[in-house]
Amino acid sequence: MHNNNPGPDEPGWMSGLAPLSRRGFLRTALLGAAALSTGCASLMRRGQVAPPRYQHLSEDDALVLQQLVRVLLPTAEHGLPSSYSDVPTLQNIDGMVGQMSDQTRELLGLGLWLFERRPMASFQFSRFSRLDEPQALRYVQAMQTGNFVERGLMSTLKTLVCVNYWRDARTWPALDYHGPVTELWGVRRLGNAPLPQA
Amino acid sequence: MRIINVPREGVPVFTAEDVRRDPAMGRRVNVKTEVVVVGSGAGGAMVAYELAKAGRQVLVLESGRYYPSARFTEHLGDTMTQVYREQGSQFNSTADVLFPEGQCIGGSTVIGAGVMQRPPDSLLQRWANELSLPQFAPATVASVFAEVGREQFVHLNEAHEINATAHKVIKGCEKMGFSWKPVARNVRQCALTGHCLAGCLSDRKMSSLVTYLPWAAAYGARLFADCHVSRVLLRGGRAVGVEAVVRDPQTGAEVSRMRVDAEVVVVAGGAMQTPLLLQRSQIPDSSGQIGRNMAVQPFVQVLAQYEEPLYGFRGALVGVEIDEFMESDGYMFFSALAEPEQLMVQGEQAAGAEHIEFMKRYRHLAGLNAFALDEGRGTVSWEGDLETGRKVISWNPSQAEFDKLKHGAALAARVFFAAGAKRVHMPSFRPLHVDSVFELDHTLDQISHGLKGMYSLRINSFSAHGTCRMGTDRFQSVANPQGEVHDVKGLFLADASLLPEPIPAAPHWTVQVMAKQVARNILASASGLFLDGNA
Repeated sequence: MHNNNPGPDEPGWMSGLAPLSRRGFLRTALLGAAALSTGCASLMRRGQVAPPRYQHLSEDDALVLQQLVRVLLPTAEHGLPSSYSDVPTLQNIDGMVGQMSDQTRELLGLGLWLFERRPMASFQFSRFSRLDEPQALRYVQAMQTGNFVERGLMSTLKTLVCVNYWRDARTWPALDYHGPVTELWGVRRLGNAPLPQA
Repeated sequence: MRIINVPREGVPVFTAEDVRRDPAMGRRVNVKTEVVVVGSGAGGAMVAYELAKAGRQVLVLESGRYYPSARFTEHLGDTMTQVYREQGSQFNSTADVLFPEGQCIGGSTVIGAGVMQRPPDSLLQRWANELSLPQFAPATVASVFAEVGREQFVHLNEAHEINATAHKVIKGCEKMGFSWKPVARNVRQCALTGHCLAGCLSDRKMSSLVTYLPWAAAYGARLFADCHVSRVLLRGGRAVGVEAVVRDPQTGAEVSRMRVDAEVVVVAGGAMQTPLLLQRSQIPDSSGQIGRNMAVQPFVQVLAQYEEPLYGFRGALVGVEIDEFMESDGYMFFSALAEPEQLMVQGEQAAGAEHIEFMKRYRHLAGLNAFALDEGRGTVSWEGDLETGRKVISWNPSQAEFDKLKHGAALAARVFFAAGAKRVHMPSFRPLHVDSVFELDHTLDQISHGLKGMYSLRINSFSAHGTCRMGTDRFQSVANPQGEVHDVKGLFLADASLLPEPIPAAPHWTVQVMAKQVARNILASASGLFLDGNA
């Protein structure tokens, strides 16, 4: 047998990544990117309609997610159940966040904070939640093809939003997805398997 | 003659709620038993069954909740919330490789696709010859594989279990000249609902929830859910029990503390949780290998879009495998297309109108999962103290592993194009699709390893193993060939952590075989392990 985990194989600064914890890595990456992108943070806040109160999401988090739902899931134009009024996407996210560990919740908050402020450098000092829809979509697309930290952050947030929309059974008819069928088909439940005979 | 009655359905399980309601149990519970088994998945359930059947007093402790199959909703979102560890979001330290795992009575067997594969005989023979693990010699282990197979109705998929997704894979393989075969699954009279990942409502998937656990209970084993084992107790170089915390599964609040005194401790929490428990328990580790050598069997999912609607999500989830490259290159390919929300973790599929258009083509999609044999370099470690520490899973693909996965994705794409795909979506963190096989190489060039392979290919792992590997040399391995931890009498392991090397096969069947062998080793050594001394 040989040792599959020798010391770090990368020289210099890269070898330092190996022992980084998940929290440490993300914190370093996100704060690093934030420092690069938010140096000119706008102190002006345009009037925003306060989103409904959520149990686990802060008001700021909810604003970012609300804008993401709008941009990622333009359901009205495609004959799908609304991602606001029909499918409670944000409430679903709120429920999921409530089940997260403190550590994951903290990371998500950090990610949302960065995502909100990242566009300032290239979108006229605006926060993501204040961009109009075409601009916000361009920002999302830029993040999807950006550097690895941007791609990672974008994928995480998009997964969070889209899972909490498409998981709702009301979205399935549009996909021709059957959903639960056992009862519908009258499939008999078999119960426990028979004990093996000696 | 002893009459053994298996309940018609369900398993008798003590839960946090039972503990809370029973004033006799209080805030501290002390239990005595002969054997305590930590974990109720593939390995733990098997050990519990074998030892209870042999007349031993067995107590099984599971950190997850008890979720009877009658409560399954065939809704992946619900299941992920209730029975997947961390709601299906267990990640590596850089948060880009997903490790879905079951955390419930029955463990990952409840949420798996039921794929049962034997490792190649050449590998088993090598373990027997070169690693001095004779129990794996093909001639020896074949009968145990057969026994486990019979117990769980393992069979090759029949024609009706091969759905439209699988037929596209077959067609592509025929055109490419690749060998394929129906997948073997542990399913009894599959109802073809396609809801394997959300738990089998009609009890046809032979998870531990409907097999070894109710059988073990019928022989007298007791099961506790919501019970988080914090450490193994040692005295004089011997395992003497465990300490656990019973937690409310909804709130995570502590309900009670439990101490179990046992003559034998079997840890079967899986390749992630077992090494963490050993580390928290400060088990002597002369080899320094606890939590190391983790093979993750990484996979990516390639999605193909066809002109005609396939409804590829209907029918048995996994239909066929491509076995052309299994022994030569360590690749495994399985046809599969699951619920709509599952698509969100397989690749980056654009945003806005484009994303919705992609989703609306769901019924035109087919999926092929490309698994690669990795190098077994991952680690799992517990950082911090017993109460407030946390796990760290470290694995990112090396350049060689990354290239292998990319090549696997390319092969899958070629198979789909050969079967007439109009578009293939690549498993990448950036939205990438290919509309012709002639564009494939160019598109793949856009997926580069970059910095430690982070956020490039979208990688998942269902089958981590090898984190407490078995071997004869106590300076190179964690457990001996009997599954007992070197230097700790009475502490046995019985899960995927024991696998001595990365294997090019879904490990479920092998884990159950190993667990059966470990249980029989315990019984064979009973005179040295149990106070009553009876074999």
